[in-house]
Order: sequence, then C-alpha cells, then structure tokens
Amino acid sequence: MHDSTTASEATTAPHGSGPAPTDGPLESFSYDDAIVRKFVTATLVWGVVGFLVGIVLALELPFPWLNGGIEWITFGRLRPLHTNAVIFAFAGNAIFAAIYYSTQRLCKARMWSDTLSNLHFWGWQLIIVSAALTLPFGITQSKEYAELEWPIDIAIAVVWAGFFGVNFFMTLIVRRERHLYVAIWFYIATIVTVAVLHIFNNLWVPLVAMGTPGTALAWFKSYPIYAGAQDAMMQWWYGHNAVAFFLTTPFLGLMYYFLPKAAGRPIFSYRLSILHFWSLVFIYIWAGPHHLHYTATAEWLQTLGMVFSIMLWMPSWGGMINGLLTLRGVWHKVPGDPVLKFFVVGITFYGMSTFEGPMLSVKSVNALSHYTDWTIGHVHAGALGWNGFMAFGMIYWLAPRLYQTKLHSIAQANLHFWLATAGILVYAISMYVAGLTQGLMWLGINDAGQLAYPDFVQTTQAIIPMYWIRVVGGLLYLGGTLIGCWNIYCTWKARPAKYEVPVYQAPALKDVPFTPEQPPESDLVAVLEVGKKIDTWSTLWWHRVWERLPIKFTIMTTLAVVIASLMELVPAFVVRSNIPTIDTVKPYTPLELAGRDIYVSEGCYNCHSQMIRPLVAETVRYGDYSLAGESIYDHPFQWGSRRIGPDLAREGGVRGNDWHVRHFLEPQVMTQGSIMPPYPWLMKKKIDFESVPLRIAAQQALGVPYPQYEGDDRSQAAEDAKTQAKGIYREYMQITGKPFRDADGEEIDLSDKQVVALIAYLQRLGVDRYAAPDAEAPVPDGEPAAQSDEVVAGAPDEQGAT
Amino acid sequence: MSDTLPKTEQTDELLSSHNYDGIQEYDNPTPGWWNWLFIGTIVFAPVYVLWFHSPVRENNLQTQFQTAMAENLKLQFGDLKLEPTGDNVLKYLNDEKWLDFGKTTFATHCVQCHGREGEGVSAPNLTDDSYKNVKTIADIPKVVSEGANNGAMPAWTKLHPNEIVFVSAYVASLRGKNLPSTRGVEGDEIDPWPEPPPREPSETKPEAEVSG
Repeated sequence: MHDSTTASEATTAPHGSGPAPTDGPLESFSYDDAIVRKFVTATLVWGVVGFLVGIVLALELPFPWLNGGIEWITFGRLRPLHTNAVIFAFAGNAIFAAIYYSTQRLCKARMWSDTLSNLHFWGWQLIIVSAALTLPFGITQSKEYAELEWPIDIAIAVVWAGFFGVNFFMTLIVRRERHLYVAIWFYIATIVTVAVLHIFNNLWVPLVAMGTPGTALAWFKSYPIYAGAQDAMMQWWYGHNAVAFFLTTPFLGLMYYFLPKAAGRPIFSYRLSILHFWSLVFIYIWAGPHHLHYTATAEWLQTLGMVFSIMLWMPSWGGMINGLLTLRGVWHKVPGDPVLKFFVVGITFYGMSTFEGPMLSVKSVNALSHYTDWTIGHVHAGALGWNGFMAFGMIYWLAPRLYQTKLHSIAQANLHFWLATAGILVYAISMYVAGLTQGLMWLGINDAGQLAYPDFVQTTQAIIPMYWIRVVGGLLYLGGTLIGCWNIYCTWKARPAKYEVPVYQAPALKDVPFTPEQPPESDLVAVLEVGKKIDTWSTLWWHRVWERLPIKFTIMTTLAVVIASLMELVPAFVVRSNIPTIDTVKPYTPLELAGRDIYVSEGCYNCHSQMIRPLVAETVRYGDYSLAGESIYDHPFQWGSRRIGPDLAREGGVRGNDWHVRHFLEPQVMTQGSIMPPYPWLMKKKIDFESVPLRIAAQQALGVPYPQYEGDDRSQAAEDAKTQAKGIYREYMQITGKPFRDADGEEIDLSDKQVVALIAYLQRLGVDRYAAPDAEAPVPDGEPAAQSDEVVAGAPDEQGAT
Repeated sequence: MSDTLPKTEQTDELLSSHNYDGIQEYDNPTPGWWNWLFIGTIVFAPVYVLWFHSPVRENNLQTQFQTAMAENLKLQFGDLKLEPTGDNVLKYLNDEKWLDFGKTTFATHCVQCHGREGEGVSAPNLTDDSYKNVKTIADIPKVVSEGANNGAMPAWTKLHPNEIVFVSAYVASLRGKNLPSTRGVEGDEIDPWPEPPPREPSETKPEAEVSG
C-alpha cells in the first residue's frame, strides 16, 4: 500500500540481486576494496593517536607540570589536536571506509574514479598531518573543531568537495541500481552539509593578504570575518552541525548498511527511515544556539536552539529504533557475535546521547551543565560510545571480507568489546559526577546570600578524583583499541598472497525497462477530494520517485539544510537590536591585539571562558554579566565553552601586572591547588612587533575602526605597541620595586616579551563598559540620536539598580 | 525481542522491490509512542516560546535575573545600608556574623593576592601591624574602593557598599594574628585600632527585619 510498485512490476523490473531482463548488454565491474583497506588502516592508526593524546590531556589536568615546561604540549595547545584527531581523523576515516565500501555495492558500481579516491585518501591524511604540525605550535583559529588555519581550510574544501564529493556524486550518476538506499541519503546529507558548514564558518582575512609577514606564525594567521556574538552564532551553527553531519548522519548511513548485513535481517521500517531522515536533516540545523544559553546571544536565538533541540529527540530516536528493531528475531545471535555486540552498544549510546542532548539544551538544565565536565561526558558518550563502537563493529565485519581470511581472534574482539564498554562507562560516569559537582558548587549560594564556594580553586580540587577515574576509563578504552589493532593486524598478516577481485555483471540503468511509480489510490470514501490527495501524499509514494533522482534528492537535501540555516542566521545578522552597541567599547590597542593573538595561540579559551551569564552566583563571583556589545571587536570571539579555570570576562584591572607575571611563572604559588601549567616561555619569547601593522590592517579590512592607523600611519601601530609595552613593564617595576629576574636570577627586560602583550590584553578585558565616555571623540551629527534606544548605558550596575 | 520468530513478523510487510546488495526493508508503521512524542515536542515549542517571550508579560532571562538579584540582595542585607566609613568598619569589628560575611567576600576576591589567611602572597601581609597605605581604620574601606599601588590593588567598585564595610572589618580583624609570610615587613607600624563601640544586637539581625 505504501509503495507504488506492485508485485507484478517487481517480476518484470526487479532491482534486486537476481538477473535482470535487459535490452542491452551486461556490464562487467568490480569493486575497489583497496581504498577501503587504506581507510580502515588510517582509522585504526589515528584512533590510537587521538585516544593517546586524550590520555595525555586527561593526565595534564591533575598533573599540571606534566608538559615538562614544553610549550607545544600544554593542555591549551594539545586539546584541539585531540578533538580534531578523534573527529576528523578517527571518525572521519571510518566514515570514508564505510562510504567507499557500501556506496559501491549499493550502487552496483565501482567508485567513479580511482584517482580521485586516492587523492581523497592521501589528501585527507596530509590534512591530518598538517593539523598535527600546526596546532602544537599555536597556529589556530581558536574556533572549536574548526581550529585549523586558512591554508589547511582551503585544502579541506578541495579534498572534501573536489575529490570526495565529485567522486561520490559521479558514482551515483553512473550507478546500476535505480533507487538510492537510505544509507546513501545520509551520505548525501553528510557531504553537502559539511561542505556548506566548513566554508561559511571559515571565512577569514589572512594577514598575508595585507603584506608580507616576517614569521611563519604570522604567515598562517587569519581573522574570521565575523566578530563577537555573530562569530559565536556561526561557530556553533558549525560546531553543532559538525556533530550532526560528521558524527551522526554518516554513522546512521553506516548503520543502515552494515547492521542489516551483519544481522541478516531486513530494516524495520522504510517509512520510519524517510520520516526520521528528513526531520533530522531539517531540525538539526536550528539547534546550534543551545551551545550559547545564557550568553550574550539574543535570547530568541537561544529559545529557538532549545525548542528545536527538543524536537530533535524523536527524529534521532527514529534512527535508534530502526537499528534496534532490525535485530528482532536475531537477538540470540548478539551475545556470540562481536560485530552485533558493538553495534547494539553503539546504537544504545546513540539513543542515550540523543536523549541527553535535548535535555542539556533545556535552558535551566544548561545553567547547571554549561562550562562543566558534564558536556565532556556527553560528547565522549557520543564519540567513544556511538562513533567508536559503530566504527569498530564495522571494522570487525569488514576485516574477513577485506583481507579475505578469517578474523584472527573472536576472543580478542570480545575482550576489546568489554574493555571499551567498561572504559566508556567509567569515563562518562566520572565526568557526569565531576560536572554535576562543579556545576552545583559554582551556583551554590549560602544562607547569607554569598557564594558557598567563594574560591574557584575549591571547585577544581573537588573534582580531581574524578579526573583520576577518567584516566582509568580512557586507558581501558585505549587498551581495547590496541587489542583491536593487533587483531586486525594479525588478520591482515594471514591475507592471501593475492586478493581475489570478483567481477560482477549488471546492465546499465538505461537498458533496464522501467515503469515510473504511480500514486496509489486512496482508500478513503466520502471525503473531499483534498482529503484523498492528502491520504495519497501521506503514503510517501513520491519519495520513491525522489530516490531514483539523485540530483533532485541532493537539491532537496541542500534546500532543507540551507533554508533552515538562513531562517535562523539571517535575522541573527541583520536585526540590529540583537547586538546593542555600547558607546564606550573601543577597539583593542595594537599591543592588546598582539596579546589577544597570543591568548588565541596558547589556546587559553580551552580552559577559560569570557562570558559571564545572568545568574546570581556568577555575577557575585565575576561581576556584571557580559553584554553582546562588549565583544563587537572580537575577531574571533573568545567566549569559550569550558571553565577548567575561572571566567576572564572581567579580568581587566582586577590584579596587578606583577601578579600576572608571577602567576604565568608559578601558578601554584599564586593560587594553591591551581591546575594551570606554568608558561615560562612567555618571559623569553619576543613580541612579533613587525607584524603588528599587518594585524591592524587585517582588522581594518574587517571594519574595525582604527582611524589613527590608516594608510601611511599604519607603521605607527608597531611604535605604539612598543610604547605601551614599555609602560606595562615600567608599572611592573614600580609595583615590585625591582626589574624581573628569571629562575637563574638573571635580569630580563620584559618590555618586548610576549607576557607583556598578553597582560595588556588581560587588563583590557571587560573594562570598556565602565569607561568614562570619550569627550574628545568626534561625534557624527545625528548618529547618537538615531541609536539612542539601542545604546546601553555606559555603566549599568545590575547589583545597584535593584 | 523474543528469540523465536516474533509474532510481529506476520504483520511485517517486506517491500518487494527493495533489495540493495541483499538488504531488504519492511514497511512497518512508525510506533505510536514515537509519533505522539514527536508531535508533543512540536506542540511544546510554541507554548514555550509564548511563555518566555510573551508580548504581554516580561519573563526573559534579564528580568528573571533582576528578580533573583533583588531577592539575593535582600537575603544578604535586608534593609541594611551602610556608608563605607571608618566608624562603620569599627562598629562591625567584633561582630562574628558580619565578619563571616566579610570573610567570604575576602575569599571570593582577595585571597589570590593576599593569601587565604591574609598572610600575603603578591600583596602585603594583612596580619601584622605594618601597613603601606593604611594609617587609620578609615583607610581600609578607602583602599578597597579606590585601589592603590598602580592598580596592583584594584578599585573594587563592583562591591556593594555594605560588602566594602564588612570585608574591611574582616581585614581589620586579621591584624595581630602575625601569620608567617613570605613577604617582609612593608610600610609603617601604625597605632592600634580604636576601641569598637558597644554592640547593638538588633542591627546585626537583618533576618528579623526581613520577616518583620
């Protein structure tokens, strides 16, 4: 009833595996499994690397000295390497293996171009290597999961769209299977959306466009075209949908192919596939702003992010149901089959994470969870529980087929399964406890209306035991992975001398007679004509038509994603009241800008937020909550997403320059129990004054007003930076009464060292709002009156106002 | 999830033309609870939006915050309003309750430089008899509000005037503990604080005023 193809048609035009009657000759073809083997190897190698870096990071928190004073492996520099390695290298190569293996078979066609397949493989590995070679050196955009700098961004776009995308879509064009199976729908959504997300979140002005930078670091440097609240909006539109379209849709596609293959069972519901595919694709896009609850993002955007996240619950669970119910009748096989075990736990974690996600997106829950390890627990349940288990399940299923021999050891695969399961449970539970503990401590107000835990470091110390347990969980998971790698390696060792390459035959599509689908007759009687039409439409018969039109299908998917994006982003950008300006907020000075770039480069945002939320406990601890108008010159925004250390939004003027210098040298002396690593290189490395005019020029190109540095006056920016740096060091000496000496007692002039630029930036944070209005600044006629209703008063004092 | 072929199998309708590399599909209807939860979450959206973005009633995050902040201020001080003067600091110098209040303020904002016990880290030891910027007890709230030493001691303008009084009283109360410090003697030794006035118990119990 729900499908238009009748039984009689099926015998005349089967799309199955049987021999098809044809008007033309049968075509012979084989599948490219060599490329799948390559991607499987890369998945395992990068998986080990990504997990290992994760364990180093997990240890660096309880042991802040662990980096041994080496700047390249601090938590701030290494954390992006861990996230990128796990997402783009481990999960990325896994989905490529899945897509290359299944697409060929689902389309009865070899990949369109072996050359593009290989360019894709090697290009992607090169991108991963370049990530590992830039992030530790502080070459980063600081936008989470989009840290890689502009030359690598271009490479990603070329490899993804130019090699992978073209190869994939051309394979669909030359396919020999008329209809596209649901796995392919998810692959289409993945390829199109990731390209759109990547390109629009990575629009920047590189310094190199402004002149020739003197250092490699400056050569790589760029500023995003968006600033502050808008940059935050774009970033989390990207960040959230990277989860959706890099870690969800391709893995659902993987599930739809490998699960029924491994279980030998039909998919539970075709209708559910259609419903949850389209609802997932359309609704996911809106949910990004739930990463920005209680921030200075316009509240209506937060509300949209929340309600769409809740609507996302059932579309996500549609995938889980279709997976788990496909196993009806074969549950007795699950305990003995490592592949099915991995899939069952993976899908269960998917269900758990996609319930937890909507829950965390509820504003009042988010008030507690945001900035804590709860989020870290959540993402690891997703990445290790869902992505990891699905990837390993697939690899165990593929291994005997790819290496054409028996799997080396079922027992080892089972051991891997149990270690990984124990590992992820220990990991997630310890992080839930840590997150809840710290979240409650931050928000705790005592009977006197004061902070129950006034010293931030108390809340850090409280969760150190959880950091230990987390390391155990990580080690279990890594241990399982290593056993898995050994198992696959031994399987590969037992491969035949020469792989068999079976040749298949099928007619070209054009040679297969085909009767187009017809809408079914409505059973309804005694209703209006429109009622019958709706009844017919609701059978979803038309979807069957779309499934044989890959171009139309791709366009419809793109429209779903792009329309949803535009409906949210366009008002976010064009409605001026979303970001009320503040008269006294001015651009950073050249030195502060250079210091800000050091802040970005050191990855400070990985541990420190710059966004105080309108919550009583938060304003008592840090000061007035942040306003959107305060970060309009922040290219990129630095609101952060985790508070391993305290918020810095109002750090300016709170401590003396001497405190900061000593704190960067010996954080534990200044704050007993602090888990911040020392930064001794900041007192040795020089400020790159030479590139300061280029930085100012790039900011000018983005519309940041620096009238004093226009044209020939631009070089003045470097001079002004030097003057300000000298002033800061002079202040330091006035406070301490003596020049700075390093650990060996040697006197060091800090006035050209990075620490001074960084302090200049820190001392500027959050102070402009309270600055006296600049009487000398020229006021354009008419402007202030027109803006007056949007201008926030210079120093609104929420505490006093009440 | 029985291991024998389930009864539902009989209602499963295999889609005859769906066969992809051997994978087949049933066309089972979506579960009822799935449909209704999905519809429920969709219906919830406009209800939620109207509740928090109502055109007739302000109920946004800012107003919620202001209400909570006002309540908290009342919880903290009741109707108590103090000027940050030396007399007021002196008045609360022996008041355990408000000293405790000052201690928490101190722990929130001051310990990073002055140390957890006031023993001094990057800022002076507050437990001895020598002071750099304080000659009389009135100078303590003055230094707290205005700052000193080129911004090494910032001006704590974000503190409530009552808070400045209590944190100053707490700081004054640290004097004489003479805790071991990594810092030497700074500034000059000054006269002892004057004798605090006799306590008026009613003023130290704002809860009574709130309830009354």
